Amino acid sequence: MYRIKFKIAIILGFTGLINFQSFAQNNWDVPADKKSKNSNIEFNSGTAKEGEGIYNTNCKSCHGDIGKNNSLQSLKPVPPDLSSAQSKALLDGELFHILNVGRGLMPSFKEVLPESDRWKVIAYMRSYDKDYVQIISKTDPAKANLVKIKMVFDSINSKLNVEVVANEKAGIVKLKNAEIALFVTRHFGKMQLDKTLRTDNNGNASFDFPKDLPGDKVGNVELIVRVNDEIYGEIESISKFKIAVPTDKPSLTEKRAMWNVLAKAPIWLILLYLSGVLLATGVILYIIYNLYKLSKSNNNLKN
Amino acid sequence: MSEQEEKPKKKTRREFLQQLGIVGIGSVLGSSAILAGINYDKKKTEGQRIRILTAENELLEIEKSDATPVVKTKYENLTYLQKQGRDGIEGKRFVMVIDLSKCQNARKCMSACQNAHHLRPEQHHINVLKMEETENTPPFYMPKPCQHCDNPPCVSVCPVDATFKRQDGIVLIDNERCIGCRFCIAACPYSARVFNWAEPLHAQEDADKTYDVELNVPQKKGTISKCLFSADQVRLGKLPYCVSACPNGVYYFGDENEDAVTNGTTKETVRFRKLLADNGGYTLMPELGTKPRVYYLPPKGKEVPFQEKDRDEAAEHLSHS
Repeated sequence: MYRIKFKIAIILGFTGLINFQSFAQNNWDVPADKKSKNSNIEFNSGTAKEGEGIYNTNCKSCHGDIGKNNSLQSLKPVPPDLSSAQSKALLDGELFHILNVGRGLMPSFKEVLPESDRWKVIAYMRSYDKDYVQIISKTDPAKANLVKIKMVFDSINSKLNVEVVANEKAGIVKLKNAEIALFVTRHFGKMQLDKTLRTDNNGNASFDFPKDLPGDKVGNVELIVRVNDEIYGEIESISKFKIAVPTDKPSLTEKRAMWNVLAKAPIWLILLYLSGVLLATGVILYIIYNLYKLSKSNNNLKN
Repeated sequence: MSEQEEKPKKKTRREFLQQLGIVGIGSVLGSSAILAGINYDKKKTEGQRIRILTAENELLEIEKSDATPVVKTKYENLTYLQKQGRDGIEGKRFVMVIDLSKCQNARKCMSACQNAHHLRPEQHHINVLKMEETENTPPFYMPKPCQHCDNPPCVSVCPVDATFKRQDGIVLIDNERCIGCRFCIAACPYSARVFNWAEPLHAQEDADKTYDVELNVPQKKGTISKCLFSADQVRLGKLPYCVSACPNGVYYFGDENEDAVTNGTTKETVRFRKLLADNGGYTLMPELGTKPRVYYLPPKGKEVPFQEKDRDEAAEHLSHS
């Protein structure tokens, strides 16, 4: 009797653990402002079809075919089938956030796929949910052209101050509470500086600019400000500043090195080698000369 | 006297016959020459025809005057490719960071590399090794490409200047110069080089391609091949083949001068020195003074355990030591 109780306790314990794990998996802690985000792209058969292609190249290898429950079981945690009840229960904003940040084995897709592609993947996923009704965001992509982004560098505090306004017909509108991020262009992509902020009531945001950021030979850097507003959508502005550390490192083949060709070999090596050759030749010549003298004196003796 | 008179008579007959012969042969030669000339003219009016093998492997005959030589772009010009390959990219110092805590032995880096460089399945520019350092430490997977040393022993020993270091830090091999002595294989402490013992994989398809020293294609039998940090991709601002093929975010690649490395999976760019400082970055065999350009982050906090089936292979070198 005791044994059976013990077994039951173990089983209960296990199921509890499993439940807890699955609970932990669902708990993405999506911030409220991200939850409410919606797509400005309509989810229809066209966008779902485009999303299918993107899904197949980026997601299928782990999540499997939607609805077939064939996700990669060897992973921990097992990636859920995206037509499962727990996936369906997530809001568009939550799914978008998950795609943006990733977690554990799931990589972030923020810099891999453009925003429209990320929404199309969600459109594809929603095509498996018949009860789904889309809430389209208020974003008007045509309005993006009205937005002006002004960047000013404050050298004393090493801060980059950004002002975001829109030139509406009714007058200038300051973009409040818009998501804003600062990037610097590097050889293989954009590198984010400081954290993602939100603009204040005057449409301003202030980024800490690192004092040790390397620039080009004279200290130029290309800075990108990316604004994401509920109404105006995503806007990027690029400008050049001469505020970084001038970097002009010599080329790696500049030094005279042992592995270089003769013209660039270290001088000590060339001298050492040449003196070695001279010494050896000298000794040989000296011996020959002495042998010659010896034979000559021998001849003299005979005579 | 009469004899003397007769002799000139005989001579004249001989001479006559000789002359007849000369005229005969001459007329035959002359007529044949004229005939040949007519034939030549006939051919000339028809136009010279040459045979051409098309890309579809079809043998065609066309007028020689219609044929125009194929104009090669500068990227098909061997001299141009060799020069840009030797020079490298100004102002750059490429580095790679490999995060061992993320490697799950997916081996996508290896297949992407082999496809790009037309390597045989047994030839590896990059290889994912199964490692176990001591009996008490856990085993882990370790991708190992060429370390692109700043003080490369392989380059020091090359007798023909076939393998060389560029200003941007990449160590390349010029298969046009390589004599196949394999001194560099012996000198490399990281076993990063492979030799083309057999005919390369796509030897026939690649036969007409212009050799690109930044891609090592076409591969040449009897020469060395090695990891190139995908010098051709890097020139275009793209990440190396292995880096962008990784599904698990193992690789970072970037420029030391810019202090930035980009993750191949997430495409996120981070500060290079901060990444090393925060995660305890290290290089392989620093005691040799080779100064590698490939950095490793230790296999700490691995989310995916080492697979049981690989355990024997990982422990193999422990039994030898």
